Amino acid sequence: MTTGPNSAAGETTPAVELVGLTKTFGDIVAVDGLTLDIAENLFFAIIGPSGCGKTTTLRMIGGFEEPTAGTIKLHGRDVTGTKPYQRPVNTVFQSYALFPHLTIFENVAFGLRRQGVDKTDVDRRVGDMLDLVHLAQTAKRKPRQLSGGQRQRVALARALVNHPRLLLLDEPLGALDLKLRKEMQLELKRIQQEVGITFIHVTHDQEEAMTMADAIAVMRNGRIERMGEPVEIYDDPRTRFVAGFLGASNLMDGTVTGTDEVTLTGGHTFHVGPDKLARANGAVHVGVRPEKIHLTPSGADPGHANSMAGVVTDSSFIGVSTHYLVQTETAGELTVVVQNLGATRFAPRDSVTLSWDPEHTFVVAE
Amino acid sequence: MTARTDAAERADRRRRRVPYLLMAPGLIWLFLFYVLPMFRLVITSLQEGSLERGYTFTGNFDSYASVFTTYLPQLRNSLLFAFGATVIGLLVAYPLAYAIAFHTSRWKTLFLLLIIVPLLVPFLLRTLAWRVILADQGLVVSFLKTIGLLSESGRLLSTGWAVLAGLVYNYLAFITLPIYISLDKIEPALLEAANDLYATPWTAFRKVTLPLSMPGIISGTLLTFIPAAGDYVNVELLGNRNWTMMGNVIQSKFLVIIDYPAAAAISFTLMAIIVTMVIIYVRRVGTEELLT
Amino acid sequence: MKARVFYRTLLGFGIAYLFLPVFVVVAFSFNDLQGRRNVSWEGFTLRHWAEPFKITGLSDAVLNSLTIAFLSALISTILGTLIALALVRYRFRGRSATNLMLFLPMASPEVVTGSALLTLFIVAQVGRGYMTVLLAHILFNLSYTVVTVRARIVGFDRHLEEAAMDLYANEWQTFRRVTLPMIMPGVLAAFMLAFALSFDDFVITNFNSGSLQTFPIFVYGATKRGVPPQVNVLGTMIFVAMVVATTVFLVVQGRRKKAEP
Repeated sequence: MTTGPNSAAGETTPAVELVGLTKTFGDIVAVDGLTLDIAENLFFAIIGPSGCGKTTTLRMIGGFEEPTAGTIKLHGRDVTGTKPYQRPVNTVFQSYALFPHLTIFENVAFGLRRQGVDKTDVDRRVGDMLDLVHLAQTAKRKPRQLSGGQRQRVALARALVNHPRLLLLDEPLGALDLKLRKEMQLELKRIQQEVGITFIHVTHDQEEAMTMADAIAVMRNGRIERMGEPVEIYDDPRTRFVAGFLGASNLMDGTVTGTDEVTLTGGHTFHVGPDKLARANGAVHVGVRPEKIHLTPSGADPGHANSMAGVVTDSSFIGVSTHYLVQTETAGELTVVVQNLGATRFAPRDSVTLSWDPEHTFVVAE
Repeated sequence: MTARTDAAERADRRRRRVPYLLMAPGLIWLFLFYVLPMFRLVITSLQEGSLERGYTFTGNFDSYASVFTTYLPQLRNSLLFAFGATVIGLLVAYPLAYAIAFHTSRWKTLFLLLIIVPLLVPFLLRTLAWRVILADQGLVVSFLKTIGLLSESGRLLSTGWAVLAGLVYNYLAFITLPIYISLDKIEPALLEAANDLYATPWTAFRKVTLPLSMPGIISGTLLTFIPAAGDYVNVELLGNRNWTMMGNVIQSKFLVIIDYPAAAAISFTLMAIIVTMVIIYVRRVGTEELLT
Repeated sequence: MKARVFYRTLLGFGIAYLFLPVFVVVAFSFNDLQGRRNVSWEGFTLRHWAEPFKITGLSDAVLNSLTIAFLSALISTILGTLIALALVRYRFRGRSATNLMLFLPMASPEVVTGSALLTLFIVAQVGRGYMTVLLAHILFNLSYTVVTVRARIVGFDRHLEEAAMDLYANEWQTFRRVTLPMIMPGVLAAFMLAFALSFDDFVITNFNSGSLQTFPIFVYGATKRGVPPQVNVLGTMIFVAMVVATTVFLVVQGRRKKAEP
């Protein structure tokens, strides 16, 4: 279990500190002794498969679930056991949860009114917020009259208008179509940076997380398995699960046979980047990301230190790239993604050589 | 691993008390005015004495015995009428519910309303109206005489048939609505699938629609049988002395010829019989949500 | 097509059958009867409508029925809403027992419930009259209001309450500003149902009313002597009022229904 302060925590009080956070529902342990620090002004994503506990964790931070054990501190203050309305946190719900009987204006103003903000300020702040999300003209309408994308933005505005220091987002983009989702991803990132607060975003879509987040925690079975910046955890997943969750991993079994050398069970030897084998010994799995593999026709000079032979079994044209499945003798079937730069494309049954740089080989435990 | 703070523990305990607090007033009411009276009923039924001398608890089961000796005809009548009204009601209500569920498209709500609206006329007035409708000089009797179903001197009022008719009428809506709700829940796609798999309309009805409407049939028949078994108004207004039901006996013994122990015993017996029959019925047919 | 015609005709007969007594009740309020028995048609007249409150016993009885119906509906709706909220929103021990206890009054014949209540009042030496009737009505209305409100609560996004609390509303504010407006249609429906059930109730009232007269009790008593046409008149008035109220409620509801996402 990889825990510990986020790389950017530094000297200042983290925005969120979870210590030993646990939640059980009867016999089921949804969250298992989670310990995590999240720094200020970070766009933090929690990803994982269904049932891994990410939503439960978010709900505990928001105050909608009582932890079975453990503490939650927000900006240094212990909030364990307090109600949602006592926490300086706001949430954007998956279903948006807009109040159907109130106008858009009243929806966004709801939190301000509960806090006793006086009328002129309410009008001004709500107006500004609606302008920020480009929905000023819908102020007098009801939620049912808005499209999914518009409702999503209202939910966001309703949360942000309260100037929370922490914003929780529970898979808010799930119901949107692809194009809109991509737009909103960039929009959310922009807003986070402009407003300068901490976002915690829960999603099962790893691509979405990698697009938006400054740091990602990958959860499995109630625990954090790997945490770090997107590039870092993508290229160095360290566990088989994380490797597979963040994209195709092309894992191969082998044993350590040198300070930077691994020999596959079938006999092939590969070189690994410096220090990658520092913690490993004996049996290991190595992997390489599909886009890091180069394909050259059999017999031609591969051009990279690690190479092996294979036969193409499938080729799919995706537009931006072509996805190949290549069957090798000793390492099983590998996925290769090649950008369509105009070079020759291969067809099934072609013999090819796969090659890649040793630095791109990663090692995973277990 | 840090433990929970005291504050969190206390907050949690407070939270757990909330549902009980919410329900307290209502449940206390239920207890006071439903559960307690039932106990009282049983105790009274085991008493002896009279209004002048006062009643004492003796644990006397004589009153119960009288139910099965003296009042067997009434018991029989109650069960017979209740059963008859339920069966006939079902036969009338099912097609009605079916028609509304499947053959009224846009006007569904209107028809549902039309079924409910007559219930807004007071029960007694509705039953009295049947006295007019089934009167000897009335159209219905004349019509039946003309087509020969009724003899020249025959009447409908003061007969068992009138009582039955009254019971069926008064409880019709209670059978129709639950059946309608069950039928309405059936996705049209299910019937299309049945047809796609070579079922004729009749078979599709038997094997898909009917089973899926069972919850409604169960609720509806229970909602009819139970009140009908305890009814006495219909008999008084539309029937005659030969057809008195348990309800009539209970009423008279409580309010007319005051004999509390006997009355209580009969009342409780009626309840016990009904509950037993309901349990057997429900267990045989299977329950899901009785509270639709 | 044939099926549709068949079913429509069937429905027509069914509705006609259901409305026949209604028609009779209304029609006989115009009956120009000479004797005491309002059983056969003797001619059309408006004189009963001219003096609907002629019979004091009757007017008092109607008044009693109206006030009892209103009060019992109000109280049972409030109590029932609280119970419904608890049942749907919280998990707690004794939930199924509570469900059962709520279901029993609906499933017992009125004779039994009414007579049981009577024995309680006798022992407690409580005089039977207005209060006992009111208490009894609140009781039997309770189960119905719970069921009605509950149906409404169940279909309502639970996250809305969490969203309100997330936006700094405490429990009471959440209830007042979010939950209550959302379940109001169900609450109103429960109130109207309870009102109708209470006004119409005869059996339980009969057992527990002592010398008090409610509208159904008056009618029952009058069946031996001859029911005065004023009964039909007042009955029709109440009926029309309730139909109008129900229609208005449903129309407003229908428009709001289209509103919800």
